[in-house]
Amino acid sequence: MMRNAEKHGFSFSCRLGVELAPPTWFLGFDSLMEFIAFIIAMAVGFQARKSYTLTKERTLLYLNSSFILIGTGLLVEGLADLIVLLSRFHRGFVFLSSVGYTIDFFAQVLAYGILVFAYLQQTRTWSSQLTAAAIPILFFEHNAFSELILIFLLAYIAAQTAINYSVAKTTNSLLVFSAFTLLTIAHVFFLFYTIEPIFFAFAHIAQLLGFLLLLQMLFKVNKAQ
Amino acid sequence: MITTEQGPPTKPAAKYRSQFRIYVDIMRVIQREQNEAKPTRILSGANLSHDRLVRYLGELKALDIIHEFGSEEKVFGLTQKGVEFMNNFRKVEAFAEAFGFKI
Repeated sequence: MMRNAEKHGFSFSCRLGVELAPPTWFLGFDSLMEFIAFIIAMAVGFQARKSYTLTKERTLLYLNSSFILIGTGLLVEGLADLIVLLSRFHRGFVFLSSVGYTIDFFAQVLAYGILVFAYLQQTRTWSSQLTAAAIPILFFEHNAFSELILIFLLAYIAAQTAINYSVAKTTNSLLVFSAFTLLTIAHVFFLFYTIEPIFFAFAHIAQLLGFLLLLQMLFKVNKAQ
Repeated sequence: MITTEQGPPTKPAAKYRSQFRIYVDIMRVIQREQNEAKPTRILSGANLSHDRLVRYLGELKALDIIHEFGSEEKVFGLTQKGVEFMNNFRKVEAFAEAFGFKI
């Protein structure tokens, strides 16, 4: 199947502008992992929405929007990759993979940008006006270093959740911190994927593990009385 | 759901308690007092002036979150709706705190 894909000059993903091909044995698993991550992201988004409805706390609305966007991006990319795979890399469908990745990329930049904004609002290290002005720059700075933008945003969020864990010292805060650390590592692996194809699998596994930790946090929160 | 008044978002956090936060603080004190809290306990526990305490207790009673009982001295307890609200709030609080957001 992969040979067929290569014959048509198909690169599964054009991250960093380099022709890339993931390991053949991993094809299909990436979509499956993205669908699982999509369900978890939507569950976190739903919990944030429920929490916002109860408290009317704006940061929870940001959290809701952020995870709904992450989930949507994952669903679109997962579906696009699945369609390409099911079409056996038919010439007419291969472009969908790049479309899926682009949509997922913008959804993630927007989602993590919203989360960064929420943390900045909370810590108030910047004025909200300055932050609001900075975020659109991130949206339209899409270039060959797309993964670096995501790594930058995720590293900031991971640092904030680390600070939160160092203060709160709760299992839930540790789970969230670990989840965002894994998501950051996943995007570092997506960067390394340009050097070595196996990192495509590592990246998806790290991403899925990150979302599974968020799921565990959700279970713990809802189980607690 | 309890509707609340919220101040402008640009105002510094932690300086003012929202109406929602005050409701929760009152309910917390009542729970801590084994669901039989005297007004003086609520007043000191929730850090409220007498006038504001009377106002908020009235509002919570109207929302059927707390009820008043006791013949000689006023005592307040949470209703079933109040207990359910606090259970939900604890989950919301744990969820928000996991991300480092304060409610």
